Amino acid sequence: MTDRTKRKKMSRREFLGRGAVSAAALGFSPALLDVLLSSTGCTSGAKAGPYIIPEDVLRKAVGFLMAKGADFADVYVERAAAGGVRSDDRTIDTTTIIEKGVGFRAVKDGRTFYAYTASFEPNDVFTTAKYVADAAAQGAARAVEGAVVQLAPLSSRLGFPITPAPFDQPADAKVRILRELTDRAWSADPRVVQVLQLLREIIRQVNIATSSGKIIDQTLGLTEFIAQVYVKDAQGSLQSAYDARGAYAGQSFFTGENAFEGIVDRAVEKAKKLLEAVDSPRGVFPVVLGPGANGVLFHESCGHGMEADLVAKGSNFKDQIGKQTAAKGVTLVDDGTIPAFPGSYAFDDEGTLSERTVLIEDGIQKNYLCDLIWGKKLGLRSTGSGRRQSFRFPPIPRMRNTFIDNGSTPPGEIIGATKRGIYVGDVGGGGQVDVITGNFMMGVGEAYLIEKGKITRPIKAATLSGMGIQALKSIDMIGNDLKMDPSAGRCGKQQTAPVGVGMPTIRVRNILVGGKGEAWDDQGGPK
Amino acid sequence: MKEKKEYMDLALWAVEAAKKAGADAAEAFITDSESVQINISERQVEQVNAARDTGIGIRVMKDQKVAFGSTNDLSRTSVQGVVADLVKKVPFHTADEFLVIPGKDGGLDKPWASYADVITFDPRIAEVTVEDKIKKAVALEAAGMDFSPKVKSSMVVIYQDNAAYIYLANSNGLAGFWPASGCGGGAEFSAAEGDDRQSGSFGKSYAKYADFLPQDVGRRAAENAVQMLGAKPIKSCEVPMVVHPEVGTQLLSFISGLLSADEVQKGRSMLAGKVGTKIAAPVVTMIDDGRLSGRLATSPVDGEGIPQQTTPLIVDGVLKTFLYDSYTAKKGKTKSTGNRTRSSYQSQGGVGTTNFYLKPGSAKAEDLLKGIGKGFFWTQGIGLFAGIDVASGDFSIPVAGFMIENGKVTFPIRGITIGGNLFELLSAVGQVAADLTWLDPVGCPTFLVKNVKIGGA
Repeated sequence: MTDRTKRKKMSRREFLGRGAVSAAALGFSPALLDVLLSSTGCTSGAKAGPYIIPEDVLRKAVGFLMAKGADFADVYVERAAAGGVRSDDRTIDTTTIIEKGVGFRAVKDGRTFYAYTASFEPNDVFTTAKYVADAAAQGAARAVEGAVVQLAPLSSRLGFPITPAPFDQPADAKVRILRELTDRAWSADPRVVQVLQLLREIIRQVNIATSSGKIIDQTLGLTEFIAQVYVKDAQGSLQSAYDARGAYAGQSFFTGENAFEGIVDRAVEKAKKLLEAVDSPRGVFPVVLGPGANGVLFHESCGHGMEADLVAKGSNFKDQIGKQTAAKGVTLVDDGTIPAFPGSYAFDDEGTLSERTVLIEDGIQKNYLCDLIWGKKLGLRSTGSGRRQSFRFPPIPRMRNTFIDNGSTPPGEIIGATKRGIYVGDVGGGGQVDVITGNFMMGVGEAYLIEKGKITRPIKAATLSGMGIQALKSIDMIGNDLKMDPSAGRCGKQQTAPVGVGMPTIRVRNILVGGKGEAWDDQGGPK
Repeated sequence: MKEKKEYMDLALWAVEAAKKAGADAAEAFITDSESVQINISERQVEQVNAARDTGIGIRVMKDQKVAFGSTNDLSRTSVQGVVADLVKKVPFHTADEFLVIPGKDGGLDKPWASYADVITFDPRIAEVTVEDKIKKAVALEAAGMDFSPKVKSSMVVIYQDNAAYIYLANSNGLAGFWPASGCGGGAEFSAAEGDDRQSGSFGKSYAKYADFLPQDVGRRAAENAVQMLGAKPIKSCEVPMVVHPEVGTQLLSFISGLLSADEVQKGRSMLAGKVGTKIAAPVVTMIDDGRLSGRLATSPVDGEGIPQQTTPLIVDGVLKTFLYDSYTAKKGKTKSTGNRTRSSYQSQGGVGTTNFYLKPGSAKAEDLLKGIGKGFFWTQGIGLFAGIDVASGDFSIPVAGFMIENGKVTFPIRGITIGGNLFELLSAVGQVAADLTWLDPVGCPTFLVKNVKIGGA
């Protein structure tokens, strides 16, 4: 499982070097947006139709999927539009991507069969549905003649407004915004040598019809802004840093702490600090993690191991419910209902209502993240965690907004109690986990030395790594300053999904820090 | 799978439509692909995903400004809508004198698909039944599970393939199509002995369906797990390091990124201004070769219709050139090296590698260990993308591998990091072995680095 934002995609699970058509990007066009938004009233959330494909076509398609003896089936209809405005080397351009399609899933004896078509024509829809039903039957065909499915619309009170609607703002206005932000970054410091920025707005309308009789219509509007800055000093040292925010909301979300200007300024500040930074020490010693974005460390090190598919296959969190998997005082929550946060939605991508799921409470494992299929295998109900990147993918259990809950210690006391170690402001560099062993790693973007209980010099090129449960158990101080971070992070477990994270200030007593500086022992002093 | 005249016609039509709508120049790029992905668990299908994807990406140029859009709705109304939208937006873009949609000069004379020696396409990949592919994927898992009683479970077992026809047309007279395909598999296994649990993975892709031997892939993944049993950390130290091709290929991907003319011209690569100078040890020669027969990134032309070529980038440690597409070539007053890479209709692409490799030396891989009193044999790494800062070259990577003592591999190691700088590492390469190993599209032999900083317990 890898998580990344700015850096190049490098996953060992991507076995095909090229040729594969990636399904990562989505786009928007005025024409499509007109259709999308007129049918949704500009609200990200759920309502009851009218559907992208007529209800009777959806009902018949589900019937075809079930006609050969499948245990469960669903049809997932999507139309999406994504607009990107990009600034690179002071040049600003736009991209527009329009996608549509229907995905068909039939589940038989816990096995999933999936196919999709880009066509909304009833004949193509039915043909693909029958193809999937046949694949799922595979010899064991018990034809269930005339499988009839009734569909009833579901509704939810969760909804996230998208203001302004992306198409209400003309392209020249978007270009102007990027121009100003680009100039702001370039003029922030004479050492700035390159600036990259991306404003991305995505609208997806989704209909889901299931063999259990649900039918859902939901629209999600995702807005993301990413700024990356390169700086170079007189000695020729080159450093880069970035900052980003993302939300299921429109540009109106990006005010105050989330303002575009603040994102740009933070990227510049982080890059400048790296020019003054010393090499990170290496070895096993105390690490204090600042609040907010560092929550991604726990997304990576623990969250993935609690996803039902990986639990079922033997992750390091398997068979841990009721057992201690973290230090006392540690509560880990995955919440899909926080307004506007990138992992929030009314319904997951198989029609289950989203919820707030407590995974670890006061150190004890309480639950896993389940979709319908893998939850059933574990004997657990769905936690509304079945997510898909697009109509091209079947749903899998995923995280939403994952955070460690508040403790009671003031953050200053945590730093003050640390004689020698490092303070991580923003891990920010992406990370990866091997869920079998629980071995995880995170690249570190912004960090400092802690000397005699005080934050001192910035450090560079550090990584944190360790074992998931071991890391959770070695948390020995939890701050009272919980901060949620609407990062523009994309989790890359086979498919990409926007996720949020959060945490208060936390100290991990000992964790492996990588760097090319001094070797330290576990008391945090040089050898 | 076959070429479809309707798609070539559509690409030409889209270019014409853009011209009519007021564009100075235009380009249409269509990919029509069929793919299958199979996940296996406990010797049974866990998931089968069969897909056909077709879409068009369009670039329009006006007054030296370019806008890009794409859609998978190939109705002429929809394509016309995308074109109209792009022509409307392009005036707001930034003019750049180097933007270019290339013409026929220096292009291939014959239809692209007729250059059989530089086509990597196996029609079998699209023809073989899904059932047969499922059998191969099941065999992959079985070979791993049966490799040793210590292998306990599979976490991921996957088969993937893709066959595509790619169509390109532009308003400067370039037009044509070519096919491409690939298939492959991979797995991750857990191994256990007592309380000790270890994981290992391996994946490989192939140009020909017949070349894919699932048992080899499964066994290698399982071996990677089993051989780590008993792994422990070592203390922080500075020692020589031997790099296995399975991690060497990953490392090369980051080095190749710094050789992109786009990164260099935009001041994002420390290799800017270094052409003609020594940037690596004399044993280091790195080549990008878009014409290597039977390799996955081989094709007659690149993503904007320029012939792919063989480009020695670093020769005997000296930086010779960078990788260029038409835009960066015009900006750098040179010629494109045929390195506009483009993975799908949804992207306008950028400068990238084709088949990229570190040229092998003559030594046997095991001979690289011989002179080492105490050292580290690096075989696994996670999160390289997060552990390597390509701007400064600084890296720290959590790794696993083996202890080398007196020229021999002694015990497995996990729970340590390696730290250093990519540019210093290139200069510290001591020896390159003969065992060039392709994990397409990157090839790497085993190589020796004289010194690396290990962080440990």
